[in-house]
Amino acid sequence: MAGVTVTVEATGVTVPLRAGETILAGLYRAGFAYRIGCRRGGCGVCRAEVTAGEVAHHGGVAAAALPTASAGACLTCRAVPQTDVVIKLPDDARFRCVAPLLAGLAGTSSTTSSQQRQGEH
Amino acid sequence: MGVMRLGYVHARVTDLTAARSHYGDTLGMRLVHEETGRLYYKAWDEYDHHSVVLEEGGAGLVKLGYKVERPDDLAGFESRAEAFGCITERMSKGDNLAVGDGVRIVLPSDHVLELYADIEVTGTETGSLNPDPFPRHLVGVGVPRIDHALITSEDPALVERFFTECLDFNVAERVVTEPDGGDVIGSWLFCTNTPHDIAVINGPNGKLHHFAYYLTDWSDILHAGDLFAMDDVAVDTGPTRHGITRGTTIYFFDPTGNRNEVFSGGYITYPDFPTITWTVDQLAKGIFYVSRELNDRFTSVLT
Repeated sequence: MAGVTVTVEATGVTVPLRAGETILAGLYRAGFAYRIGCRRGGCGVCRAEVTAGEVAHHGGVAAAALPTASAGACLTCRAVPQTDVVIKLPDDARFRCVAPLLAGLAGTSSTTSSQQRQGEH
Repeated sequence: MGVMRLGYVHARVTDLTAARSHYGDTLGMRLVHEETGRLYYKAWDEYDHHSVVLEEGGAGLVKLGYKVERPDDLAGFESRAEAFGCITERMSKGDNLAVGDGVRIVLPSDHVLELYADIEVTGTETGSLNPDPFPRHLVGVGVPRIDHALITSEDPALVERFFTECLDFNVAERVVTEPDGGDVIGSWLFCTNTPHDIAVINGPNGKLHHFAYYLTDWSDILHAGDLFAMDDVAVDTGPTRHGITRGTTIYFFDPTGNRNEVFSGGYITYPDFPTITWTVDQLAKGIFYVSRELNDRFTSVLT
């Protein structure tokens, strides 16, 4: 599983993940932040759409937080990518870089130079 | 006659093994009974059989149990709840492990409330004969007892009316849109001498905001926070103070995402306590007194 990456659609940000790491853990380790809730699979606030690739949910996920009807969605707090993945966060997720130092150390790549601007709103 | 206290919280969890680690090892509650799909816990200073029931499957609240003083109280509360328009049903001894006959009420907010007078009394860990002040070998936070629950409702004013008119609770504090009149955004009600035994804020019906454990003081709150860091508990907010209730607090999440709180302090209430009013423009100060900023989880993260 090592070597997979998560790309956040519309931000151009790609972060290499560690083996077994959830999307949320990887993005926060890399100095990014976005709207999250309980971080334990119960509230559904950190839900994202998986637009490419495969994830597996590790740990408890409440049905109400991730309805089966929402195919293609994941809870980023529990979702561990099995391949390189692309996710689309909700419009109100306020994805931003809060620690550029960490973003650099984590090997983050960006296809656009607007990464910082995305964080400021 | 009267409702004496919050007796039990029955919640859903997605994973019993993870729940066991949180409620048993981190919070230090004692497992008193387990059966297929359910764990029963009590805290060390509680004398009734159990105070937290965890049921496998989903998240959120199954029901809240409040203990009344006498079996004779039940019929009165039942008829008042029915007159209020609530659906009620009788529950029999054994419907809940160790709990006697009671009345089950569906609140105007769709939450299920159970009233009961009898539950098996198994005693505190320090006993009631020449007791020590605390058990010698507490685990983790070593919570002494549960304290209150906060639920959400589309109509907090209606839930407030239910608890005051049907169960004789009193309102300690209330958040309103206008100082005189206006809509009720939240209400903190008591039947004991604490600032709240139940609270309700505006939100979807049937949801749990949190249930809380009482700790002795502010340093115990910080100590609990240290343990949450050691055990990788997802912390929501704190340590800080609430303006409302004046209590000190940490909000955190169990492994299912149900919000818990460790709560300390607050003031003493009596039936003649003058209700404190907060205007909604001061809500942030009322909830998180020190920072005076609401985070985006407080009103939106529910189970």
